Amino acid sequence: MQLNFLVLFEGNNMSFLVRGLWVTISMTFLALILSSAIGLIIGLGRMSKNKVVSGVCSAYLAWFRGTPLLVQLMILYYGLAIGMQIDLSASMAGVLGLGMYSGSYVSEIVRGAIQSIDRGQMEAGRSLGMSHWQTMFKVILPQAVRRMLPPLGNEFIALTKNSSLLSVITVSELMREANLIVSSNFRYFEIYIGVAVMYFIVNSSISQGINFLERKLNVEGR
Amino acid sequence: MIKLDSVNKYFGSHHVLKDVSLTVAPGEVVVIIGPSGSGKSTLLRCINYLEEIQKGRIAIEGRPIGLIEKNGKPTDMPQKDINAMRAQVGMVFQNFNLFPHKTVEENIIMALITIKKLKKQEALEEAHHLLKKVGLLDKAKAFPDNLSGGQKQRVAIARALAMKPKVMLFDEPTSALDPELVGEVLSVMKELAGEGMTMVVVTHEMGFAREVAHRVVVMDDGKLIEEGSPAKIFFDPDNPRTRSFLKKVLEH
Repeated sequence: MQLNFLVLFEGNNMSFLVRGLWVTISMTFLALILSSAIGLIIGLGRMSKNKVVSGVCSAYLAWFRGTPLLVQLMILYYGLAIGMQIDLSASMAGVLGLGMYSGSYVSEIVRGAIQSIDRGQMEAGRSLGMSHWQTMFKVILPQAVRRMLPPLGNEFIALTKNSSLLSVITVSELMREANLIVSSNFRYFEIYIGVAVMYFIVNSSISQGINFLERKLNVEGR
Repeated sequence: MIKLDSVNKYFGSHHVLKDVSLTVAPGEVVVIIGPSGSGKSTLLRCINYLEEIQKGRIAIEGRPIGLIEKNGKPTDMPQKDINAMRAQVGMVFQNFNLFPHKTVEENIIMALITIKKLKKQEALEEAHHLLKKVGLLDKAKAFPDNLSGGQKQRVAIARALAMKPKVMLFDEPTSALDPELVGEVLSVMKELAGEGMTMVVVTHEMGFAREVAHRVVVMDDGKLIEEGSPAKIFFDPDNPRTRSFLKKVLEH
C-alpha cells in the first residue's frame, strides 16, 4: 500500500475530522472551566484549618489523581447508567470526567502557587484589618495566578490530549471520527498523522496563549 | 492606650514570652530593644494579634484583643472582631510587605475601599495627601519594585496611616535598608512622633531610641528586664544584662 495523504481529503473525511476537532475543542474548553473551578476550591480547601474540609479535599485529590482517567470515564458513563440508573449523556459524562480528573491536578497547582507567596503578604493584609478571604482574593491570588500559569499551561495541554479518551465513551470527538474513518479505509498512518497534527496545532495555540498571558501579567506587575 | 498583662506565648514547647506586662500611654513613643531572639518582634506582633498568645491579656483602649474570657475560660475572640481591632492598629514590617501587583496609590487605597467602603476618588485623595506627607507624591503611580527600600518603607508607613490607626507598631523598620536610606525613614517616624502618634518601635537604631523615645524597654530571653527613660537606659542601666547588651551594640 502506497502512502497517500490525499485520503485525508477524500469524500467527507476532512469535514468529519474538522467536526471532531470542533467537538474536541469545545469539550476541552468546558472541562477546562470546570477543572479551574474545582482546582481553586479543592486547592483552597486543602489549606483550610477545618479538618473536615481539608480532609474531604485531600480525599478528592487522592481519588481523582490516583485512578486512571479511562476508568473514571467508564464509571461515569457506563457504570452510573447501568449500576445506579443515572444516565448521563456522553458529552456530559465526558466534560464531568475530564474536569474532575484535571481539577485534582489543578488543585495542587493552586495550592503550590498560593503557598509560594511570601507569608508577609497575608500579614500585611491582615494588619490593615482585612479578613483572611479579603486578603486572599485581593492580595494573594492575583500574585499566585502569575505563578500558576506555566504549570497550568502543561495541565491544559494534557487535558486536550486526554480528551481523546472520550472516544471510548462514544463522544464523537476528533479521535472517534478518525477511528470511524480508518475502520472503512484502513489508512491508519495518514489519518492518524493528520489527527496528530490537529492536536498539535490546538496545543501550540494553548501554549502561545499562556505565553501571552504571562508576558501581559508580568508587564503589569512591574 | 495599650495594656499587656502577663502575656505568655509559646512556639510549641519553646516559651518565647514570659509574663510580659507593658502599658503604653496615649501619645507615648516606646522603643523596645534587646538581643536577637529575645522576643521583641514577637511581642510587637502579639499587640495586633498576628501572633496568638496562650495566656494573659492584651487590651487596646480598654478593649481586649485576641484572647478573651468566655464562660471563665480563655478563648480566641471571633475573627470579625479581631479584624476590626486590627484596623485601628497600624503595622510597619521589616520587609515592607507592599503588594507588588499594585501601584503605590493602589496599595494605600485597598483597605480604605475594602473596609472603610470609601469611594475610589475619596480614597485616592487620602492616599495622595499621605504620599505628600511622606514625600512621595510623584511615585503614586509607580510599582513597588521600582522604588528604593527607603521609599518602599515610607509607602508602607503611608499605607498603615491611611486607616487612621490609634497606634503604630514598627517591626525593625530600617533593618532591611541600605545605611544611606535609613535616615529618610527615621525622619518620617520622628515627624509622626512629633504629631503625638502613639508608637511602639522595635529597632536597632539606638540613635533614634535616644532621640525620640519617651521610654525604652529592654527585653532578654522572653522577659522584660528593664524599662526607663532613654537617659536612664543608655547611661545608667541597672540590669547587668542591659549593660552588656548595650556595650556590644554601641561599641560599633
